Amino acid sequence: MRKKSIWVIDDDSIFKIIIQKLIARSDKFDNVNLFSNGEEASLALKKGIKNKEELPDIILLDIEMPIMNGWEFMNEINVLLSEMVDKTIKIFISSSSITFEDKLKADAHPNISGYLTKPITLEDLDKIAL
Amino acid sequence: MRLNKNEYKLVNWFFNKPKLSGFIVFTCLSSIFIYIAFQKYQIDKENKRVEMSNTLKVITQNIEQSLKNCYTTTLSLALTINDEGIPQDFNSIGKRLLESNSSINAVQMVPNGVIKYIYPMKGNEAAMGLDILNSKLHRDEAIKSVQTQKMYFAGPFELTQGGKGIVGRLPVYIKNKFWGFSAVVIKMDRLLVSSGINSINNKNYCFQLSKINPITKKEDFFIPKAIKLTQNNFVSSYIPDGDWKLYIIDKNSNILLDEFRFKTFIALLVAFTIGYFMFLLFKKPEEMQLLIEEQANRLINNELKFKAIFEQAAIGIANLDVETGRFIEVNEKFCELLGYTENEIKEKDFHSITHPEDFKKDIENIDKLKNGIIDQYSVEKRYFTKEGRTIWAYLTVALFVENNNDSKKTTLISIIEDITERKKNEELVINSQHKIESLINTIDGIVWECNAQTLEFNFISKKVEDILGYTANEWLSSITFWEDHIYHEDREKIVKFCAEKTAESLNHDFEYRMVAKDGTLVWLRDIVNVITKNNKADSLRGIMINITKTKEIENDLNNSFNLVTEQNQRLLNFSYIISHNLRSHTSNISSLIGLIETTENDKEREEMIELLKTVSNSLNETLLNLNEVVNIQTNLTLTIEKINLKNYIEGALKVLKKQIKLNDITIDNLVCDDVEVNYNPAYMESILYNIISNAIRYSAKDRKSIISIRYYTEEDSKIIEISDNGIGIDLKKNKDKIFGMYKTFSNYADSKGIGLFITKNQVDAMGGNIVVESELNVRTTFKIYIK
Repeated sequence: MRKKSIWVIDDDSIFKIIIQKLIARSDKFDNVNLFSNGEEASLALKKGIKNKEELPDIILLDIEMPIMNGWEFMNEINVLLSEMVDKTIKIFISSSSITFEDKLKADAHPNISGYLTKPITLEDLDKIAL
Repeated sequence: MRLNKNEYKLVNWFFNKPKLSGFIVFTCLSSIFIYIAFQKYQIDKENKRVEMSNTLKVITQNIEQSLKNCYTTTLSLALTINDEGIPQDFNSIGKRLLESNSSINAVQMVPNGVIKYIYPMKGNEAAMGLDILNSKLHRDEAIKSVQTQKMYFAGPFELTQGGKGIVGRLPVYIKNKFWGFSAVVIKMDRLLVSSGINSINNKNYCFQLSKINPITKKEDFFIPKAIKLTQNNFVSSYIPDGDWKLYIIDKNSNILLDEFRFKTFIALLVAFTIGYFMFLLFKKPEEMQLLIEEQANRLINNELKFKAIFEQAAIGIANLDVETGRFIEVNEKFCELLGYTENEIKEKDFHSITHPEDFKKDIENIDKLKNGIIDQYSVEKRYFTKEGRTIWAYLTVALFVENNNDSKKTTLISIIEDITERKKNEELVINSQHKIESLINTIDGIVWECNAQTLEFNFISKKVEDILGYTANEWLSSITFWEDHIYHEDREKIVKFCAEKTAESLNHDFEYRMVAKDGTLVWLRDIVNVITKNNKADSLRGIMINITKTKEIENDLNNSFNLVTEQNQRLLNFSYIISHNLRSHTSNISSLIGLIETTENDKEREEMIELLKTVSNSLNETLLNLNEVVNIQTNLTLTIEKINLKNYIEGALKVLKKQIKLNDITIDNLVCDDVEVNYNPAYMESILYNIISNAIRYSAKDRKSIISIRYYTEEDSKIIEISDNGIGIDLKKNKDKIFGMYKTFSNYADSKGIGLFITKNQVDAMGGNIVVESELNVRTTFKIYIK
């Protein structure tokens, strides 16, 4: 199976270290990019499309972030996703929030493939890499 | 002047028949006037006739005289004929004859009917040699003179020599043998002059000359332009010498007739006018008579009517002796009311049937009547009937003065009306009124009634004194009392609402505050019924209930509700914070432990343990923060002190001295030295520290930073305002989040998102408010409202 490219968007620096370790262990991903908030990630995505760089297969997205949070990021890239024909990006929410509203909102969102509650486990990563 | 019986009868006859009398007068007068006019007309007519006859006579005579002269001339001419039948010296004799007779134009000698001699010849040449006996025009008339053997004047006709004229021919016989004619020619114009026709005043008359035409046998008229003959406008005479008829014609024959007609008309008019006036005059007494009869009838009727009214009146009427009080005359109703017969009552005086309590009143009033102080009086009094029942009556008494043959007689006229029923009803009404009033006064609310348009109260129950302190009289003494005593904040709204509902005739129900007499505010619920008359609001009735206590409870309840809602919100927020912020740490811990357990690399394990320490520190910090928040929210007994604001600002600035210096920030502290506020000292420290440190942290690096601090009051609020010219906050995006926990708007490493959350909680706990205004990259202003 081809290894996947993954972007992690989260403002928690410790989580970022942990997720890197987990990704390394899972051995399902060959490319990892980390971003501290939605704005950084959306800029990178736009730049990637423009320069025809390789785009991620999977994005792990936190909700609570400064500057641009998860929902704002989804709004920002909505147009980009719809214009993308030859590539599908699976976006998963990874949040420590166990608030039911957040889960519902994520399920209802057409461009969100799933909702993961922290802590993220190796099994979670295996599942989303399928 | 006394008229005898017959004269009176005659006059009366006229007065009785005014129309006929007027007509008779008219007829008589018009007959007389017309007769006079007619007589005058006749006389004038006769006079005119005489005048015309006389004139005609003169003219006729003149003409005849001329003709006679002509005869003399022709005779003279004839005498010039000698025995041989030849005229001697015709021309010289003719000349002399013409000179002596101015009326003729020419002389002729006509032997055997043929004109042989003419003088003057000039102008008459054409006639020379004319054989008149063989001329159709002349023959008949010539022969006529021969036959009569007299001079005969032929014509007038067109003369052969020209012009119109007459020819007088004298047949001449010599030795009894017809010789011929001696003739004169008279031209028409000359005849008219010589006859005097022309000289007669022709303004009134004109003349006409006629002759029976010998050939046609018709009458020929010779003067042209003359007035036409009518039956009556002429007088005529006959002149045998020429068979002429001379007329004198009245030019103005109609004047007399017109005059007569006009006079007749005037006469009729005058007669009619007089007749009409007479009619009016004759009519007058008849009208008077009618009036008198009418008046008399009316008097009789009135008397009957009054008699009937007196007898059949539905009220009792009595006539009493003023001194004794005895009844002189009573009507049926009076007897019926008191139960006595007429005779029985006439034996009594009013004293004996009057209730003793009312008797004094009667006596006093009768005295006043007698002394002329009053004209009449009315009282409600009680009488005893024959059966001993008491009845209530409305009594009206007046003094009645009868003038009988110069002696005055004074009596009393009493009118009584049975009001027993009414009295009973009145008593019932009064009782029920008392009942209603006492009922109204027991109601725990102010019952009222007012005019729907003016809002002028006409009733307010006594309860008003208990509830608002005003007496009912105070309330009713001013037209606008209600409006004037509504609490000023409620007044406009309430009056408008009430007017709108009233206009729609809708019952309504509203709450407002009124200022009580002691100055306190009383909450009232006013339940209003609109009473309509002809589909229009006529009056308002309602009840005002004191709901001050209810209102207070309601307010407390509202406050409690708001508090609970707010606390619930905070609790929800708090639970969210806990779930999110605590879980982010615990999930990290759980992940790290998982990694530590599964790693075989010692170095990696140590690294993880280091991370675990960091997470645990963060968790600790979060818990401390949460603890602080919980402390703020649950601390119900905060100490509030009077603190000097400036000192506290200075304190905060001292703590932040290092950062201020580092960032080269100018602090502009505009708060006066003596400003003091009531606040919890620790909160004030924390609030000032948090906001100023935020302002420093988010200062713009590309320009000189200034932070200014002000204190001022606005309406009822005291405000501390801290303003910077830093990077600002996008409030469009972040308005809801700015005072939230762990909300940061930058990637600054030291942005924790806890400072403003705590500040907000502290300000709220002190009963104030905090707001923010900002413009991206220009400035941010925080305003702290102090209660």
